[in-house]
Amino acid sequence: MTPTDIPFTRLLRVETRKLFDTRSGLILAVSAIGLALAAVVARGLTSEPRWFTLAGTAAIPLGTLLPVLAILTVTSEWRHRTALTTFALEPRRGRVLAAKCLPPLTATVAGCVLALLAALPMTAVAAAVHGVEATWTVAPAQVLGWIATMVLLTGQGLGMGLVLLNAPAAIVICLAGTALWSAVARLGDMGAILADWLDLNRTTNPLMNGGFTGDAALRLAVSVFVWIVVPMAAGMLRISRKEIG
Amino acid sequence: MIEFHCVSKTYKGVKALDEVSFTVEAGSVTGFLGPNGAGKSTALRVLTGLSRPTSGSATVFGLPYAELVCPGRRVGTLLDAGALHPGRSGREVLTLGAMMLGLPRSRVGESLELVGLTGKESRRAVGGYSLGMRQRLGIAHALLGRPEALVLDEPANGLDPQGIQWMRGLLRSLADSGCAVLLSSHLLHEVEQVADQIVMIGRGRVLARGSVAELARGGGLERTFLELTAQADRSAA
Repeated sequence: MTPTDIPFTRLLRVETRKLFDTRSGLILAVSAIGLALAAVVARGLTSEPRWFTLAGTAAIPLGTLLPVLAILTVTSEWRHRTALTTFALEPRRGRVLAAKCLPPLTATVAGCVLALLAALPMTAVAAAVHGVEATWTVAPAQVLGWIATMVLLTGQGLGMGLVLLNAPAAIVICLAGTALWSAVARLGDMGAILADWLDLNRTTNPLMNGGFTGDAALRLAVSVFVWIVVPMAAGMLRISRKEIG
Repeated sequence: MIEFHCVSKTYKGVKALDEVSFTVEAGSVTGFLGPNGAGKSTALRVLTGLSRPTSGSATVFGLPYAELVCPGRRVGTLLDAGALHPGRSGREVLTLGAMMLGLPRSRVGESLELVGLTGKESRRAVGGYSLGMRQRLGIAHALLGRPEALVLDEPANGLDPQGIQWMRGLLRSLADSGCAVLLSSHLLHEVEQVADQIVMIGRGRVLARGSVAELARGGGLERTFLELTAQADRSAA
């Protein structure tokens, strides 16, 4: 029987499976789901019953753990040198890398949807318990902006992981970013300008809070280019030329 | 089936491979023999498209490995038995391989049985495997797609004497059924009893090649091997 090409969907299934087939991957996935639900519940117990506020609380665990999952997905083959096997089975490395990038991005959208769904009953329960009216209204653009922001944070994890091929370094850059940028922003006018244009946390704010103007779009584009597009492209180029050993 | 045409590889100013040429025929076992650091692994990585030669080319079935359609189905490879995610079970490693190659899951059990890993062992995380068990798992992985060519880098490392004997029998029967087998080793006795042909390499150069009988003339294979590697070391010094 003549073998046929490996279809992309198959690579996608294999790479998705690799996310969850080790204890560390499983712990990370279960923690992300568990903490996202816990965040929604905790917010429901403590604040006004606003559906989107409850769902949005899940951004804290999801925005921390999903970029880590993304980083581990793209770096683990180098740490354990399984790249030898993977790229021997599929020498077209770009296809493998694309198949590695999609599952964490999909998981991010799924995590957001899960938080929105979990917030529905929690909002109703919280309203009943506190005896106040629940707030269900939210602009669809705001929900989409929130999901887009979460996807971009995961994308940054992929970019940093691909360009550094070192999980600890990539995790530090992604997670310490917020603290670093708030320090940079205090370094006079230049620091403030840099933070306004390059800090993904700042440039994605208009996506969630409305007020997404042309200027905001430009700032977002610049920061996405610097933190996601360039590292992803550089990482993929480097890996496609790299000696695997 | 497997051909190296004048493959050279310069790595950070050092000639890791210097005009390496040899072929491995279908139905034969070729032992790729040389001391540690001689360039065996580099040659096998060039062959499997993981490393680019500075000049020359290596082909399998007349094509560069990376240009074959689903190369893992036609060429079984074991390039480093230690390169495994320690948290995966042996069965999971093979399941991922079978999925990627589009093979039925039944191949996982068949391959495990072929290399003598029990069901219980296969469900354990490979982090706890001995080197010998990792080698068996790696050979099982290489054989998943019933390949027509087999490339094994130091497969006997860590195998006990029974394991080496088992591997000899396995490679012999694969070659007898038409498979082209290329296996590297730094230990002569691991290859001399199973190989039909031997390619000796030292400091990146092919020092000698021929049948075991040819190379054993004039004092035995071991003497030839030691003399040639010593010569290569002297000329490089």
